[in-house]
Amino acid sequence: MRNSRQKSILQHLSNIPVLALVLLAVLVSVYPVFWIFISSLKGVEEFSGSPMWALPKELHWENYARAWTEGKMSTYFLNSILTVVPSLTLVVLLGVSAAFGIEIMQWRFANLTTLVFLTAIMVPLQIVILPLFTMYFATRLLNTHLALIITYVAFGLPLVVFFMTGYFKTFSREVIEAAIMDGASIYQVFFKIALPMVMNAVVTVALVQFFFMWNDLLVSLTFTTSPDMRTVQSGLLNFVGQYGQREWGPTFASVAITVAPTVLVYLFLNQLVMKGLASGAVKG
Amino acid sequence: MNKKIRYTALAAFAVLAPIGLMAEAQSKRVVFLSVQNATEGFTGVIGKLAAEYSKQNTNVAYEYQNAPQADLAQKLQLLTASNSLPTMYNVAEPSLLMQLAEKGQAADIEELFKQYGIFDKLNPAAVALQKSITGGKLLGLPLELNIEGIWYNKKLFADNGIKEPTTWDAMMAAAAKFKTAGIQPFAASGEQKWPITRLINGYVARKYGADAMARVAKGELKVTDAGFVEAARAVQDMGKKGYFGAGVNTLDYGSAQDLFLQGKAAMFYMGSWALGSLNDPKQNKIGAENVGFFNFPTVRGGKGTRNEWSLNTGIATAINPKQNDAALGAWLKYVFSNYGERALTDNGQISGFKVAKLPANLPALTKATLAKLGAAKNAYLWFEAKFSNKASSVAGDNVQLLVTGDMTPENYLAELQKALN
Amino acid sequence: MQGTLRDWKAVLVFVGPALLIYTIILLVPIVWSVGYTFFSGSPLAGFKFVGLDNYGQIWQDQKFKEALWFGTKYAAVVSLGQVILGLLLAMLYMFYLRKSSVLIRTLVFLPVVLPTVASAQMFAKLFAIAPQYGLVNSLLQGLGLESWVQGFLGQANSAFWVIAAMDIWKAMGFYAVLLFAGLVEIPEEVLEAARIDGAQGWTLSRFVVMPLLMPIIISSLIFSLNGTLKVFDSILALTGGGPGTTTMPLTLYMYKVSFTYNDYGYGSTVALTLAVQCVLVTLLVLWRSRKGQS
Repeated sequence: MRNSRQKSILQHLSNIPVLALVLLAVLVSVYPVFWIFISSLKGVEEFSGSPMWALPKELHWENYARAWTEGKMSTYFLNSILTVVPSLTLVVLLGVSAAFGIEIMQWRFANLTTLVFLTAIMVPLQIVILPLFTMYFATRLLNTHLALIITYVAFGLPLVVFFMTGYFKTFSREVIEAAIMDGASIYQVFFKIALPMVMNAVVTVALVQFFFMWNDLLVSLTFTTSPDMRTVQSGLLNFVGQYGQREWGPTFASVAITVAPTVLVYLFLNQLVMKGLASGAVKG
Repeated sequence: MNKKIRYTALAAFAVLAPIGLMAEAQSKRVVFLSVQNATEGFTGVIGKLAAEYSKQNTNVAYEYQNAPQADLAQKLQLLTASNSLPTMYNVAEPSLLMQLAEKGQAADIEELFKQYGIFDKLNPAAVALQKSITGGKLLGLPLELNIEGIWYNKKLFADNGIKEPTTWDAMMAAAAKFKTAGIQPFAASGEQKWPITRLINGYVARKYGADAMARVAKGELKVTDAGFVEAARAVQDMGKKGYFGAGVNTLDYGSAQDLFLQGKAAMFYMGSWALGSLNDPKQNKIGAENVGFFNFPTVRGGKGTRNEWSLNTGIATAINPKQNDAALGAWLKYVFSNYGERALTDNGQISGFKVAKLPANLPALTKATLAKLGAAKNAYLWFEAKFSNKASSVAGDNVQLLVTGDMTPENYLAELQKALN
Repeated sequence: MQGTLRDWKAVLVFVGPALLIYTIILLVPIVWSVGYTFFSGSPLAGFKFVGLDNYGQIWQDQKFKEALWFGTKYAAVVSLGQVILGLLLAMLYMFYLRKSSVLIRTLVFLPVVLPTVASAQMFAKLFAIAPQYGLVNSLLQGLGLESWVQGFLGQANSAFWVIAAMDIWKAMGFYAVLLFAGLVEIPEEVLEAARIDGAQGWTLSRFVVMPLLMPIIISSLIFSLNGTLKVFDSILALTGGGPGTTTMPLTLYMYKVSFTYNDYGYGSTVALTLAVQCVLVTLLVLWRSRKGQS
């Protein structure tokens, strides 16, 4: 910290190429969001009639109204929240504890179990669609939130386990051993010591899972047909007609509606990461 | 002993009676799995009629379900695998619909409608057309009746001193003239693929006559025959000469249509479902009065004539025979006795159902198109109508390579013939 | 103490629930699908036992080979791009921006959040030639490079690069955050000690940071490869596999075979081959990284 404050102006100047790089990275990342927003306000004739970077001639707020009502975005929102929140909680809880069990606990089949979880990372998920559909049909789970939740959890687990075992590998064993010496049970070790210390990684992994679930189309489209059960991403398909014609204005309005909360969630989780960093620094 | 039996009977009655009572009051659920939005097109009309019916008959509940067109084939496979197809459902590929009918999953609508006395609500020409798609049986409801041809910009034609072409050569001469004048001759969405295969289709229909593709299906013609090669080459030439403009394969449906509607392209092959956009002043910048419509031109040495039009009934809507009962019958009777009129008055949609009298305020362009439809002497279907799913997919994928010159006409057709075998 | 860490019941509590859900929802269906590879047909047409025919057919299948090659090429380019750019960004956050990197990290992460439909439409417009020149073609025209103006997504070669660019752009912020999380875990003392020894800039990153970060880099690379080998959404949205089938990876081919050609058994065989490819690539990366370390 002290070092950086003492940096001379010269050193700052040498940072100009770096700053340019940063600006470029920010530009290519932020402009698309801006573009989606201006596109969501364009009229039907502007998408091919004016250049992509042009501002809307008039503000077509009715695109949002149509996305919300005709596009049923309000229903989809509720469904997305009702499926993503439980899925995310479950996948993180189950995945992190499984990784802990595999990496920290000492048992014979630990390596084999990692491998078993790894298989699904390799297999293209499209392949399990037919068997799963048959299973959900037999158990009457089609068109329910539960079907989506267990699918998201199962699809997310391999990744959480894969990454968390990686993080637990670098985890200091002495801390755990010391705690056990002090008489802590293994569950106390998990909840009070291990979990807080890998919180950064947990939040990062949770973030990835959130985007996977929130942006999923394959699972939700396959296991739901009732429009009342659809999630937000399927809303983006609402303005495509039977001959391939697409109404881009309302589509982009739908996109903007779905993107807003994701950005908020990201900002919130990002705060958590920073807090985790700060508390880690205090402890260290 | 006797007592025991009596108790058993009593117990059985106690268990069964409520079920029997329930069955009597049981409500019928009519579920429609559609590719359209709930309020759009035929789905909107059916939804409105169903709501009216349910008001009077509270025992029938109507439910709309949705599968985007891109996922429809997959969804139908899955639903069939679990034997859970809904009451009515869309099917995009005729070959799939015929398979479903074979499996007892799609009803013979002629039988069904005769059973409920509403077969006469259907327009016989539309029925014949629909039957020709699926091997002589009526398996889909003709909820739309579309006519396809070439829409053109009258003003651009007049400005360049060009008349409505009646022959392929005249159309190509017109295209060349537009090209030199710096106007894109045709707007077509290569991204959608079918707008290009339709041109090959039109050409062979003029070359061999309206039954060209039907004869391919029967095995009397092969798509590797000389006339097909000539057709594929003619379309490829259009691409090579730049008549479709730059980047035809990247152009989506809306952009292609806009090229025409914004006066940047002179001609546009499309079906009458585009009338909604053509009549919409917000989209149509050249003015509906400047839009003309002509049939696919004749080709040199061909048997086909300009009295034969490419017609279709839109995406097929099948009925699941397993859900056929009196309650469904009454529902069908109400909804489809009123469908034709409502589709036309509410949506301006021409359908395969009879309409007693035309609404007074139809747009001029729609009226003119209806007149052409009425005067059609003979009809032919779209290129892939009788293809297997695989062959349709091959026809569409490879046509992108054909039109840019990355695949020879011979190879295009050889690959297609292979997929057809 | 060893007893606590070897407690079977605790292992069951930790691993059991995850393993159970995973087995029922993923493992069983995967095995089930492998079973389909010995059949031809579809739920609709009915299944017919064909033994090993599907496996024989796949080696004669030109389309399969093209898709395999395309997917491999695509995965190599995109995964390298994602991880290298991610690493550069992570270093940038860590060593140049330091505490102020929160905002930048958040902003650069934005593309990850955007739905594929939207980002694909943007890239399509960026590289468009009709009905209007997109940004790229306009720039080329402005620079007087008229002859370079082209329909980028309409040609197999350039379409490949547009898809690759989009997928690298979309995920680099994600890998940056992931690798940054790894960088933060490196104890400050280690870095400080290395600095005192005179390590700076390139030497510091090459000989101190990289080796410490290696496990996460390897994980990221494996994760990325397994994602890019199975790419689906972005290609579907951007080119649909076209023009023709020149940008079709195995996943798209599998989907087409299963649900368009109605040959579910053969589709499963294609999927299985893809899974085998993923396993092989993962093992190769792990093997190379072990060798590199020793």
